[in-house]
Amino acid sequence: MKRQFAHPAPSERELTGPRYWRSLDELAATPAFREYLEREFPAGAAQLGGVDRRQFFKLMAASFALGGVGLAGCRRPEAYVLPYGKSVEEVKDGLPLYFATAMPLRRAAIPLVAETYQGRPTKLEGNPSYAPHGGVSSLLAQASVLDLYDPDRATMHLQNGAEFSPVAANDLLDAISRKYAVGRGAGLAFLAEASSSPTRAALVAGLKRKLPEAIWAEYEPIVDEPPVEAARAAFGRDLQPVYRFARARRILSLDGDFLHTGPAALAYARGFAQGRRVTSKDEADRMNRLYVAESGLTLTGAMADHRLRIASSHVPALAAAFAGRILGTDAYAALTPGLDVKPEWIAECATDLLAHKGESLVVAGAHQPAATHALAYLMNAALGNIGRTIDFVAAEPSTAATIQQLAAVIKTGSVKTLFILGGNPVYNAPADVDWPALQKAVPEVIRHGYYVDETSAVAGVHLAATHYLESWGDARTADGTIVPVQPMILPLFEGMNELTVLARILGDAVTDPYTLVFNTITGLAGGEPEKTFRRFLHDGLLDDTAWPPVGELQPRAEAAAAILAGASRIPAVGAKALEVRFVADSKTDDGRFANNGWLQECPDPITRLTWDNAILVSPRLAKELGIIPPSSPLEIARVEAADFELGKEQAQVGEVKLGGRTIRGPLHIQPGLSNYTIIVPLGYGRTQSGRVGTGAGFNAYALRTGEAMHIAVGATIEVVPGRRYALANTQEHWSMEGRDIIREANVEEFKANPAFVTALGLEPHSPPYDEASAQLPLAEKATEIPRGNSLYTTPKFDGLHQWGMSIDLNTCIGCNACVIACQAENNIPIVGKDQVLRGREMHWIRIDRYYSDARIDAGAFGGEGNREIPEDPQVSLEPMACQQCELAPCETVCPVNATVHDNEGLNVMAYNRCVGTRYCANNCPYKVRRFNYFDWNKRALDALYWGPLGHQKDMPELLKMVHNPEVTIRMRGVMEKCTYCVQRIENAKIQQKVKAAQAGSPGDVLVPDGAFKTACQQACPVEAIVFGNLLDPRSAVSHAKAQQRDYAVLGYLNVRPRTTYLGKLRNPNPRMPDYADLPLSRREYNIKNRPTGAESGERMPETGKT
Amino acid sequence: MNHAETSAAPVPAILAEVKPAVLPRPALVANHRSFAWISDKICGIVEEPTPKWWWACFAVTVFVASFTVAGLTYLVATGVGVWGHRNPVNWAWDIVNFVFWIGIGHAGTLISAILCLLRQKWRTSINRAAEAMTIFAVICAGIFPLFHVGRIWLAWYLFPIPNANAIWQNFRSPLEWDVFAVSTYGTVSVLFWYVGMIPDLGLLRDRFTAAGHRLRAFLYGLFAMGWRGSNRHWSNYEMAYLILAGIATPLVLSVHTIVSFDFAVSLIPGWHTTIFPPYFVAGAIFSGFGMVLTLILPLRAVYKLEDLITQHHIDNMCKITLATGSMVGYAYLIEFFIAWYSANPNEGFMFVNRAFGPYAWGYWIMVTCNVVVPQFFWFKAVRCNTALVWVLAILVNVGMWMERFVIICASLARDFLPSSWGYYSPSVVEVFTFFGTFGVFATLFLLFIRFLPLMPMAEIKAITPQADVHRGSGHP
Repeated sequence: MKRQFAHPAPSERELTGPRYWRSLDELAATPAFREYLEREFPAGAAQLGGVDRRQFFKLMAASFALGGVGLAGCRRPEAYVLPYGKSVEEVKDGLPLYFATAMPLRRAAIPLVAETYQGRPTKLEGNPSYAPHGGVSSLLAQASVLDLYDPDRATMHLQNGAEFSPVAANDLLDAISRKYAVGRGAGLAFLAEASSSPTRAALVAGLKRKLPEAIWAEYEPIVDEPPVEAARAAFGRDLQPVYRFARARRILSLDGDFLHTGPAALAYARGFAQGRRVTSKDEADRMNRLYVAESGLTLTGAMADHRLRIASSHVPALAAAFAGRILGTDAYAALTPGLDVKPEWIAECATDLLAHKGESLVVAGAHQPAATHALAYLMNAALGNIGRTIDFVAAEPSTAATIQQLAAVIKTGSVKTLFILGGNPVYNAPADVDWPALQKAVPEVIRHGYYVDETSAVAGVHLAATHYLESWGDARTADGTIVPVQPMILPLFEGMNELTVLARILGDAVTDPYTLVFNTITGLAGGEPEKTFRRFLHDGLLDDTAWPPVGELQPRAEAAAAILAGASRIPAVGAKALEVRFVADSKTDDGRFANNGWLQECPDPITRLTWDNAILVSPRLAKELGIIPPSSPLEIARVEAADFELGKEQAQVGEVKLGGRTIRGPLHIQPGLSNYTIIVPLGYGRTQSGRVGTGAGFNAYALRTGEAMHIAVGATIEVVPGRRYALANTQEHWSMEGRDIIREANVEEFKANPAFVTALGLEPHSPPYDEASAQLPLAEKATEIPRGNSLYTTPKFDGLHQWGMSIDLNTCIGCNACVIACQAENNIPIVGKDQVLRGREMHWIRIDRYYSDARIDAGAFGGEGNREIPEDPQVSLEPMACQQCELAPCETVCPVNATVHDNEGLNVMAYNRCVGTRYCANNCPYKVRRFNYFDWNKRALDALYWGPLGHQKDMPELLKMVHNPEVTIRMRGVMEKCTYCVQRIENAKIQQKVKAAQAGSPGDVLVPDGAFKTACQQACPVEAIVFGNLLDPRSAVSHAKAQQRDYAVLGYLNVRPRTTYLGKLRNPNPRMPDYADLPLSRREYNIKNRPTGAESGERMPETGKT
Repeated sequence: MNHAETSAAPVPAILAEVKPAVLPRPALVANHRSFAWISDKICGIVEEPTPKWWWACFAVTVFVASFTVAGLTYLVATGVGVWGHRNPVNWAWDIVNFVFWIGIGHAGTLISAILCLLRQKWRTSINRAAEAMTIFAVICAGIFPLFHVGRIWLAWYLFPIPNANAIWQNFRSPLEWDVFAVSTYGTVSVLFWYVGMIPDLGLLRDRFTAAGHRLRAFLYGLFAMGWRGSNRHWSNYEMAYLILAGIATPLVLSVHTIVSFDFAVSLIPGWHTTIFPPYFVAGAIFSGFGMVLTLILPLRAVYKLEDLITQHHIDNMCKITLATGSMVGYAYLIEFFIAWYSANPNEGFMFVNRAFGPYAWGYWIMVTCNVVVPQFFWFKAVRCNTALVWVLAILVNVGMWMERFVIICASLARDFLPSSWGYYSPSVVEVFTFFGTFGVFATLFLLFIRFLPLMPMAEIKAITPQADVHRGSGHP
């Protein structure tokens, strides 16, 4: 390297101040001196003169190299920023706005409040103004926001598969309108989805007036309301029941899953929980008791205190037997021969109901025949429940034709133009209707739908529908309250509202859905229209529009006898004549949510399966089919209920034959099923759905006929030899293994020993803390108990708030609403079936489901008892998320301090710091930490992330719009977990500070109890999750934790979790034949841990069957 | 000799001093090989033209090593998900392989340092190769914890480098201890290896100089650091070597102790065990000797080193393997006892589950290889059958790998909450990445035997019979 000339340039001071020089020659600057310099410092002399060209180029080249090569490697996303010129009303940048809306589903709706960021809805919550729901929401409502941003939704109208402009679509509708106006609608037919919308009802009424010859048919593959004929038979009027579960202390469910299915499930679950919730032993007597007779294992059955497995087709007979007891008559005895139920079960249950007249309730499943419902109504009337635990409201009989009637007309060839509004009949119409062929036979088929699906494929024109979050509408909730369907955003694509389609065909001048809804609502409500409507939108409901209960009802036993006379006798059900129950899938419903990734990846609450449906068979049937998984010689834990190979459930494939029709699907052994009933969930096997839904599961509609929509008898099943199908099961093991994880007691024991939870578990064996510290609150235990000069110092819990959570296992029904609420709130990615199979699902909260049957073997090496798959188990459910341990085992092992404690008791993750050693996940005893094995947020829906090379297969932009801007998107290689919704905590603290400052008392920064909720807590329909400040003794969470049922899961590890649980109570009837004096999980605990003798007399449950 | 005749003193009834008979020590260099023969033999390996078999082996090992390179490239480009890890088994082959290789790395330093301090002279003919094995095993081991992290480009967070975030490492984490333990161990092992090699490098330099290989002479001379074999050099060298042996000795115990802390400090049943440090160290020495035997025996056959690596050496190594293997077997028993004695149902279940649960196959392979196999070394006939010893040594390595697999995977797969139980199985990428590390190891080892003196010639010369001027009379 050349030596550089280092003659400093004269400074400012040198130039302006006294001048100095180093030599007289320099001062004189004679040419001789310059020449001397040139000779002495040839390199530097040139620099004295001016710009060094070489140096300049060197520097520039280096800068270019750095700027171009080095910095371009940094990941600065390219973005085109457009000015946010026209703002939404009242919007504050970065802060969400909330608007009321509602999610319509079939003949009901769930009132919601949508959270929007800069006009973009990201999260839905229940509308607290709607009293029966109190602000809770459901799994489907939580997930529906994802459908709005589904990249596979229909983005344009299509004609024969080619793009069809919106103008042309409107012209087409107008032309049809003009064409059929002439013939009063002859040749025109509609097949629509059921709807509760008053505006649509008005339009349909208009249609019938103007085009009386047109056929208006409605079809829903799932029926979730009791048949009106039942009330007509029982009371001579068209009525629907509305149950008041909160007031019911003895409940008998006849094959009804009222907690989880049906339009009013949220209100019912909430009411049920109110009757179930117990805060002290004094309240224990008020706790309700639930008897369930059912064929499948539903969430309602899982909550039952007494559960009877019975074929659904035998339930009418059971209802008759009950009615005989309760009504004190033998008029129904003709129905009961062949009923295989212990008479004592019925007798004792009936006695219990009769002992609680006016406080009891008999409900029947919507899929049950009218006879069952009629009998249930009569029983409720005899029990004096009407007006107390059950109300009846007037039901308008539907004037729409059925799909069968429409099919008959199409067969005559008289239908020239067919509108299919929503639905998906090609996929889900009864198999005997042969709808695809009929639809092809109609010359002109116009389909209005959200997806280009199976039905659209055989329709000439597809009109893209709008999502409910981007279009105006209205709806009624299950109890009749009118709620607005308010858009949050302009239609993202060229969607068209169903109301617009109808209005155009009607030839109305007004086709704008807003005006249509406005007119309907203001017409119904009266008052000053603008004010009424604004209030309607603000509140999210129209006050006092719930159906009023009808007054006195006279049960007509003799009329009921008529419907019963028509009821068929008990069909024989057995291995050669199986009963098939068609049920809506808990996630995809009838198939409409098949392309929703959140729902597909949400484990079914009972089977824990994701991405698939399966033919559920009972252990008994499985044994007869020879598909019980092989067990090892030593069954040290309970035998698995499925064939797991390398951690993946490899299900046998079965073929079900029914009436000449056949379906194939994976067989999943499901404890708790009626022995010869197979459960076939609908809503899968979509052939034309999006990237998520296509190909998942099998289509059970192929087996279903109009005659037997819900229950069919006479099926046979065979195992397809040599075929296996991998099921993505998120919970491989079903037994709690006699551990103290979920602590349960019967009410009797709870009354005697309210602190029964402390009698279980290892805590009593751990070294006792001193007397004083044992009484300390949880938060103080961590800080006050001396720990010596340990390297592992306790975090200082000196924050103003100390957050904690309590989960009531007594009321949790396991509905999964919290799981999806958490997913939506916290931007939790889906990973796909393949990755779930590999055990990499990302849910921050999961619901553990355990079965117990008290047949566990005590020995360390297992034994015969361990080999049995329970036929009739008790179910225990437990939501499990990060427990925010005060002495968190994950924190001590993280080498880079990426997971640490804050002073308010949160175990926080610094994603930026995480390098992904996964040590924390290993050391988490609750296994609630989730690792990003791939860049889930940078992958296409159907591919892994292939690094920078695979960038073109990125996540669709549309899908990214659903992300909550308050929560970081995690990249690959990073651990993540529940944060107690720290973003909500921080927002609440900021809001409180602002409020305090505005009120002139800036020191008042304590967030009041209930000011905000975590996402899981907010969604929970049964309010089992309570969250808040533990330092505030009056907070709800402090009250919950003060209960004697409060315990910490795995407390013996001394990790001191901030989330604790309230022990589960069961309320069995000691007089019942299947009474067990201890919950079965508790008995298993005793067998495992106290093998020398159980603590109470042996009274094991017997099955209710004779 | 008759005392009565030569001395007037009465014959004492009792001897004033009893001199125990000096047990004949087996010669550590057989066949009375001369110093020159030793020099020619060892240097000859380096000096001879590269044999064809070497090239063949080198091609194979480089090919195998490329599996690791490819596997790791794929891993970094795509994500850790290309391995079979899952919830709840978030560590699997990565850490199994890490502990396995680190364990192998133990015998080298044990032989060099501890046996040096204990003046076990038989160590001399195997210590150089064993030290090389240590270093290469540590390199292979280091690959796994480095690449198993989710974001390797941020792995420098593990090192206490001052940074703008002002976040320091978590010194409570055993993983952080690992960073220091393994890097210290690696550094000291390299230093120890290198310092021990200096006189031999000097010899090679001289021989290459004499043979006129200027480049080689220069390179060996560079690393010989001006070794002249002067008295002053020797005394400094001996002192340095002794000090390094002293430093390395505790490291032999500390490294695997700290590696075992990764598990012992956690709270997972099957990991949370105080027996781990001694158990891991014993296991590491066990596996290390297994690996030394695996490597030395073929080397001995190929280069005809029977005079330097005598049956006595093999016997000793087999006996150490037997001793440590039995310690490991004892630890397995004690684990069961403690699990029962603790009366903790989670612990109890874990150990029954290991032996009879879904990973029982792994457990029984482990017990067979680690407890049963070394018992054969009780028999001299077995120890003398070199081929059999080699097979058994390989089985020891299989068993020790399986031990780590059972500890890590079987414990994680079924811990506290049965809802989270799962079964881990490796992916193809994982299997081949591990397979490739044998290629990395073998490539490095081939380079070592090709270019560096396989045995410490100077030390071997010192233990030859002719070096002992007192002819084994026990004089110091």
